[in-house]
Amino acid sequence: MKKEKLQSCFVQLVFVAAVASVWEATARAHIFGARSELIFPTLEAIGSAFVKNFASGYAGVSFWIYILNSMKLLLLGLVLGIAGAVLFSGLSVASRVFYYIYNLVVSVFDLIPGVALLPVIIILFGIRPSVIVFLVVHAVIWPMSRNILDGFAAIPRIYVEAGKNIGLNQLELLTGVYIPAATSYLVSGLKVSWARAWRGLISAEMIFGIASCPGIGLYINQMRTNMKNAEMYATLIVIVLIGVLVQYGILEPIETHTVKKWGMTK
Amino acid sequence: MSSVLSIRHLKKAYPGDPGRSDGSVLEDFNLELEEREFLCILGPSGCGKTTLLRCIAGFEPYEGEIRIQDQVKCEPGTDRIMVFQDFNQLFPWKTVEKNIQYPLRKKGIRDKEELEQITAEYLEKVKLPGTEKKYPHQLSGGMKQRVAIARALALKPKIILMDEPFAALDAMTRNRLQAELLHISETEDCTFVFITHNIQEAIVLGSRIILMSGSGKVKIDHRNTLPRPITPSTDGYGELWKLFHDALEE
Repeated sequence: MKKEKLQSCFVQLVFVAAVASVWEATARAHIFGARSELIFPTLEAIGSAFVKNFASGYAGVSFWIYILNSMKLLLLGLVLGIAGAVLFSGLSVASRVFYYIYNLVVSVFDLIPGVALLPVIIILFGIRPSVIVFLVVHAVIWPMSRNILDGFAAIPRIYVEAGKNIGLNQLELLTGVYIPAATSYLVSGLKVSWARAWRGLISAEMIFGIASCPGIGLYINQMRTNMKNAEMYATLIVIVLIGVLVQYGILEPIETHTVKKWGMTK
Repeated sequence: MSSVLSIRHLKKAYPGDPGRSDGSVLEDFNLELEEREFLCILGPSGCGKTTLLRCIAGFEPYEGEIRIQDQVKCEPGTDRIMVFQDFNQLFPWKTVEKNIQYPLRKKGIRDKEELEQITAEYLEKVKLPGTEKKYPHQLSGGMKQRVAIARALALKPKIILMDEPFAALDAMTRNRLQAELLHISETEDCTFVFITHNIQEAIVLGSRIILMSGSGKVKIDHRNTLPRPITPSTDGYGELWKLFHDALEE
């Protein structure tokens, strides 16, 4: 097990190093002539841009403020979205009629990209940070609900009957049986939701950055308009790093301490 | 002795079941069970044994009347605890002790010391002391069934309903668990309804043995008076075995 992990780490490192060398070679070869510095800045340029991002930010606003703003909106949206998904999926267990309706609602809204809703949301709310929160909630609540509903449907009947047998009421069945029994679905729902939320957030910020609440998406756009492409790439790396941090720092530990510990997944 | 379980005119049908002409599984089924009896129910597959048990447990709607100590019961409750055949009846997200204590807490026992003492007592009874902190996936099939029995006993139900709990175990484990369950049934103030396909199991365990026909009727209702513990070498075992065997073959 441990050996396999080491092996996969090694392979992945070699791959990343190979991609970086190809990138660097392309950058130095100046294949695209004058545009080459914009399309393929050297690794050194991207590296120093990465440092400069954090050191000086843009137009007097620290890069940390951008990150903080993004994370604030993201977290709020995630919490609201997950809470909503748990609440509505829970109601679907209690009422068949609600389940039929909610199932349809989830299927329909899961298909609509958040960005496509932007015009309507802007008319509704105006251009405010809450619009971005709304988009994050939209990105989270449907895939999360889909996973929870599927998870509830896949629960072995025996757990529910054992729960009823020991005298659990509807609410206790939900919290004591349905939710723990569907944990592997909840965790994979979290993974999908987190990825969708992160993407939705950046897209929304890029389409309309709010000067009063500047986020990472807006920062990329500002770098684009100023032709600072090395800074743009450096910001992309930051986006990936935050994603990786959440994946390995939060989501994986959740998995190890629940479904893996309980022997519900391999 | 008073009747702990009384079933009158029980009727149960699964409409739309293609295997049956009118979907009926049980029709006008009647049963009186006395306290502390160990009832074994034999019968061919599909005769309605499990359906009967599920009706008693309150998992299925039915027509007719099922009374527990003179009270009509339609919903599941802790006075009738089911032990399933499936090894996965314990909650995998709870340790052994939490699996036993969770229902007790719901029943109103909150004192930590009392809970621990009950857990230890019943794990001792099923010969699994020291497994408190283990998760179900760390136990073998036989051990899981033991914990399920301990969980049921700890609730002190009027009746324990057992749906072929040992059917998926190897022969040796099965024999050992039969002997232990017999011992438990002699010491606990509890009534058992035990479903099995296995004639040997029914004779060894049952103080009363019912054989159901394929159409869900009681064909034999036998009071088992052989001296315990019963083994195949006990006088009268062979005749009894033949009686049930022939009835099942018909």
